[in-house]
Amino acid sequence: MPEEPEREEGLEGEEGDASLSKEGRKPRARKRSSASEGILQPVKLCKAELYKPPTNEELSRLKETENLFHSNLLRLQVEELLKEVTLKEKRRQKIDSFLHEINALLSKIPEAPERDITDQSWLPKGLKVPLLQLPFVVKGKFRFLPPAEVKVVGSYLLGTCIKPEVNVDVALVMPREVFQDKDNLNQRYHRKRALYLAHVAHHLAKKKLFGSVKFAYMNGNHFKPIVLLQPQGKDAKTVTVRLYACPAQDVFKPSRLHPNKNNVRTAWFTEKDSPVTGAIEPPTPHYNNSILWDLNMASNLVFLSEAASGFQGMRDGVCLLKVWLHQRELDKGLGCFNGFLASMLVGYLLAGNKINKVMSGYQVLRNALHFLATTDLTTSGINLSKNMDGTLPSLSDFHKAFQVVFVDPSGRVNLCADMTASTYKQIQLEAKRSMEILDDKTVDGFQLVFMTHKPLIRTFDHVFHLRHVSKLQAACKKMKLLNELMDHGGNYVAATLPFLLRLLERGLGRRIVLLTHTLPQTPPWSISEDPPKHRDIGSLSFGLLLSLDFATSILERGPEADRPEAVEFRQFWGPRSELRRFQDGAICEAVLWDAPNVSQKRLIPEQIIRHLLQLHMDIPDSSICYTGALLESVIKMGREPAGTGEEAMVSLIRSYDDLSRKLWNLEGLPLTVTSVQGAHPALRYTDVFPPVPVNPDYAYHARIKDCESLLPLAEKPCPAYIAPMKVLCHMEGSGQWPQDKEAIKRIKAAFQLQLAELLKQQHQLLCRPAPTHTDVFKDGYVFRLQVAYHREPQILKEVVTPEGMLKYQDNPESQQLELETQHLPFLTSSLHGLQQQHPAFSGTSRLAKRWISAQLLSDSLSEECIDLVAASLFLSPAPFTAPSSPQVGFLHFLHLLTTFDWKNSPLIVNLNGDLKDTDYVEIQNHFVATRLQLPVMFIATPRDQRNSVWTKEKPSAQILQRLLVLALESLRVLEEQLMDPLGSQDIKMVFRPPLDFYDVLIHLNPKQIPRHLEAVDKPVMSFSRGMIKSDAVVKTLSFPVVDYDPVQCYLQELQEAFSEFALFFYDKYGGEVIGVLWKPSAFEPQPFKVSNMRGRMMSSVGTDPLTVPNVQAILEDFGILGEGLVKSVEARTEKWSI
Amino acid sequence: MATPGKRPERSGSPAAPLGFAVIPVKFSEKHQSPHFLYVKEHKVREDKDHNRPQNNTLFVLNVPPYCTEECLSRLFSGFGSVQSVELCEKPMLGEKKKPPKTKFFGATKPLGFQVAYVVFKSPAGVQAAKSVSTDEPLVISSNKHPVQTGIQKWIANYAALIVNPVELKTEVDAFMQAYDQKIAKEEAKAEKEDGVPDEEGWVKVTRKGRRPGLPRTEAANLRALEREKRKRARKELLNFYAWQHHETKREHIAQLRKKFEEDKQKIALMRAQRKFRPY
Repeated sequence: MPEEPEREEGLEGEEGDASLSKEGRKPRARKRSSASEGILQPVKLCKAELYKPPTNEELSRLKETENLFHSNLLRLQVEELLKEVTLKEKRRQKIDSFLHEINALLSKIPEAPERDITDQSWLPKGLKVPLLQLPFVVKGKFRFLPPAEVKVVGSYLLGTCIKPEVNVDVALVMPREVFQDKDNLNQRYHRKRALYLAHVAHHLAKKKLFGSVKFAYMNGNHFKPIVLLQPQGKDAKTVTVRLYACPAQDVFKPSRLHPNKNNVRTAWFTEKDSPVTGAIEPPTPHYNNSILWDLNMASNLVFLSEAASGFQGMRDGVCLLKVWLHQRELDKGLGCFNGFLASMLVGYLLAGNKINKVMSGYQVLRNALHFLATTDLTTSGINLSKNMDGTLPSLSDFHKAFQVVFVDPSGRVNLCADMTASTYKQIQLEAKRSMEILDDKTVDGFQLVFMTHKPLIRTFDHVFHLRHVSKLQAACKKMKLLNELMDHGGNYVAATLPFLLRLLERGLGRRIVLLTHTLPQTPPWSISEDPPKHRDIGSLSFGLLLSLDFATSILERGPEADRPEAVEFRQFWGPRSELRRFQDGAICEAVLWDAPNVSQKRLIPEQIIRHLLQLHMDIPDSSICYTGALLESVIKMGREPAGTGEEAMVSLIRSYDDLSRKLWNLEGLPLTVTSVQGAHPALRYTDVFPPVPVNPDYAYHARIKDCESLLPLAEKPCPAYIAPMKVLCHMEGSGQWPQDKEAIKRIKAAFQLQLAELLKQQHQLLCRPAPTHTDVFKDGYVFRLQVAYHREPQILKEVVTPEGMLKYQDNPESQQLELETQHLPFLTSSLHGLQQQHPAFSGTSRLAKRWISAQLLSDSLSEECIDLVAASLFLSPAPFTAPSSPQVGFLHFLHLLTTFDWKNSPLIVNLNGDLKDTDYVEIQNHFVATRLQLPVMFIATPRDQRNSVWTKEKPSAQILQRLLVLALESLRVLEEQLMDPLGSQDIKMVFRPPLDFYDVLIHLNPKQIPRHLEAVDKPVMSFSRGMIKSDAVVKTLSFPVVDYDPVQCYLQELQEAFSEFALFFYDKYGGEVIGVLWKPSAFEPQPFKVSNMRGRMMSSVGTDPLTVPNVQAILEDFGILGEGLVKSVEARTEKWSI
Repeated sequence: MATPGKRPERSGSPAAPLGFAVIPVKFSEKHQSPHFLYVKEHKVREDKDHNRPQNNTLFVLNVPPYCTEECLSRLFSGFGSVQSVELCEKPMLGEKKKPPKTKFFGATKPLGFQVAYVVFKSPAGVQAAKSVSTDEPLVISSNKHPVQTGIQKWIANYAALIVNPVELKTEVDAFMQAYDQKIAKEEAKAEKEDGVPDEEGWVKVTRKGRRPGLPRTEAANLRALEREKRKRARKELLNFYAWQHHETKREHIAQLRKKFEEDKQKIALMRAQRKFRPY
């Protein structure tokens, strides 16, 4: 390394500590000031600091981060996270002393005399055995003896215990004398275990030491109750001690518990007296496994502590894995992947030399994730046992008995016995996604992988709930699952779940990428209550991740009719299967689903699920609550079966394509048309309510004869709103164009006239020219053609400096024009392309717009800005997958709004994938350097990396703040509603704005609101708005009323007149009320100024000549300006005073 | 200058500021709360605009949005016959030069509160307006002279936006004819001057003519600079001397340090925002 001490202070070179601490101090002082503002500032370091000779330590640290992590950031973030979740020393001490006290108490529990297991009269009153004892009668005798040994096991000992739910596991070893021969049979072991714990709990409950003593099921397993102990008083939250009971070593002979062996007799379980002689008893692998688990608890712990000794990286890695699992809701419930499994997995990797003891926590995590992502434990299980003894069950034995296989060091226990294949697939998918995210340099991997919660409803495209799981009991009978039921001790949920999943997976086939379910859980219960029944897990929820290409296909083609598989196909689909002849001549079995439009097609999975569950499991429609498209009702229009507008947009785009072809081929123009570009939201599939073909009723309107145009009549209800669709028509560049902005305007007007003339002559289209545009009435749509000249913005920018130099300077006029003629068409075509890749984009963006508008904020945010935010959900969906249904897209939208750090990071929307890694860095740097000059909401796109053109004007900081608050609340309410199958599910609730927030409400007369039918709650009474059915054949001779919305005219006047006093809020889709919010700053008395006397008056109080707003008059003005439109002005004077 | 306006008797009606008189106006008879027009003689030193004669002109502040020029002229004709009324968004000097009259390409009308210059035929009108009693507000829209607002007005506006293509065409043609003539004249002049030295002997080089020069634009200048820079960079040897090698290494470490500092700052900020609570 170069040593150039002559330029530095030189002396510090050796004293690494001193220099480090000095270095540390200075930036910290700067940091404090920037943190207080909450905005990142560009770092400025002085030369001396940057170039001083590095110490060895510093050098190695810098090198390491450069090579191992993408940046220091990730490393520092991981360190901070670990600091946050690991236990502090003080807390550990408290916990230790608590454990000591418990230990002392446990040894003092008195013995109890021997009795029959079924004789439970010795238990004190008010104590219930924490096990469902069905059938009740078993042989055997039980006596209580104090535990032979009490030891702390699990994460606390390994140091992988993490906040916030600190659990310390304590194992009580039940002495040999408690057990008898054959206790492995017929749940006797489990009964004894439960009785043992009941007795312990009873004695501990009497002690003052504990705040609460409760029972819970270990990982949701009904065989395994545990006792939960919490300390008294304010320490209750510090720790939960969980007491497990396990038998002493060698109580049971392991070979009896081989997965092929039977330990629950059918005759006993079905309570029939005589066993059917000669019948082979079915194996009970899950039952056996539950006993083996307890037997091997201690030895597994030994294995783990060996692995963890001298391996800090393992501790950190397991902590990270636990956080990762927790964020994905995979670490709790029956069949979960808990911290214990995570530790065992790391142990496995260590044993297989996939990792070594010098690795850091982050490396351990990466290796574990990589292993999970690439290894399919459902087909190729893993085994920790080194013992090649023939007596041990083989992996194939395990695979036959269990769905997921991970065998412990003893070679007998399957650690993943309860896990379903679906859950493992989910883990695999998550691991794969996380690895991708961590490798992606353009995103903040840490935030997405560790800090983002992924609840079911937000992760999966469609979610459905089984309202009453008790229906599964009947399904057991229908599917003849007695053996499985026996194996799971009567837990019909656990018994049927794998079959249900397999059924649906087969039925959905290629339509889904993943089908998964919530892990059944029961909350802890008090020791005086009966243990929860199997049905008490509430409702079971399932999530579907749809595959884009196949999810919406309406046909399920089966085998040819004469093939043997056809019978099976018919059986599987039942009456829905029918014979069809296909175009290739084959006659096949097939299922055709009924779906007339796109929104219904998205729900084909629902049809399949309902049909299959009904057919094969007798689960009625009423107990399935399917939430895939509940939100779509707010963007539906028209008569039933109402679609969500996709068809309408396709047909109007077809009409637009035809128009653009006609424009290209127009003969007789002096310059040719070089390109035709759409600029209306409907042409990029994001118009909330796309225009529909109209056919005006002449009798309803007034007419201007010479212009062939219709006019609205004041006394009739306002005619239906017809949105003109803007289409830009770029003309060829030529030397003939004048180089003066006024002249260009005239030439463009001349082109408009000529376009109208030619379209009329050559294509018989009804046209109406204006100086800036030409309206064309075609197929019932109105297109607004706008001629553009590509050099015009340039000419507008021209400024000549005093030295005679020609300079190009942005000015509002040129920027506006650039926006309209360059950015908007580009955006429109990019998003049109995005929609082709992601069919759910349209619905997502429209739901988002509908919601923002419903919250009366549509005027405060540009439509394009919302489109871009919606597009970003599809282009960088991490940590989720790109939404395939509008509902989940909308949830992502709300989630992004609330969690994105608008203050300190730019939202980068990589349209068409044009941005490279270096661009990201550049955008980021530019953003940090000029943060204060940039808009509050900064959105960068490939064509607009520095200015964020769509958010320049709006939203303001206050509006954004308000939007975030609303989004947070809406997301909470909506997710609660969607996840609660028993609730009312009135999802429109989040689309109804809170009105108590406004100072003045202006109520409008529905008669004059042209878009009244688009309101969230469809109006009961509607007006005839001068349109006749579009299929009636009438030759149109007059131009309909276009772009006439009285409410918008009114709002514009209000804005112009009173924008200094108030903000106006309105739902442009049929809102009946305008909310007015006074600006507090305008209400402060101000000194008289000629330039500032709009709507103000001299204050009569005080002697100084001060002015205040003339509020009474302004309130009257609200009514005057909206004559005929305003129904009433409601001033809520209690909310403000002057 | 003038005495302050009379203090109105009605409670809540405020006084006028120094130099101004106050005239309450309301929209129609049935409305209660008036707006207050603040009026004053128009007196500006440098404004020699003959459209606004100093003595005859009344400056009116705070004209409500629904007031039109006709309507103001009617209101003020009570004080003396009105010659003309001019509404503007904010007070300004008399217009220097009127843009050519155009029906289709003009700016849109302002909609908010405005100021007005009311020119009376005689100075007496101004005085009368200033000394008016403020007891009874003037009424803007009466049965005889209704002022359109709301639906009526918007429909009228909509109708006004529909243009007659023939009229538009004539206007465009007329403008373009004038424009072409102007350009032709300029070009002829430029051609005449091409290559001819002026009185000090300078010859003007334009983009046209026999020897076109570089366009004098900022972009062209920048481009030239850029080209120079590239040329220089090409000549330079980067890894020639030992110190250059050291320098790059030092630079690398400095970069890493800088990045480290930036990251530390980010972390501190996140810690402050409690970003490390995973749940």
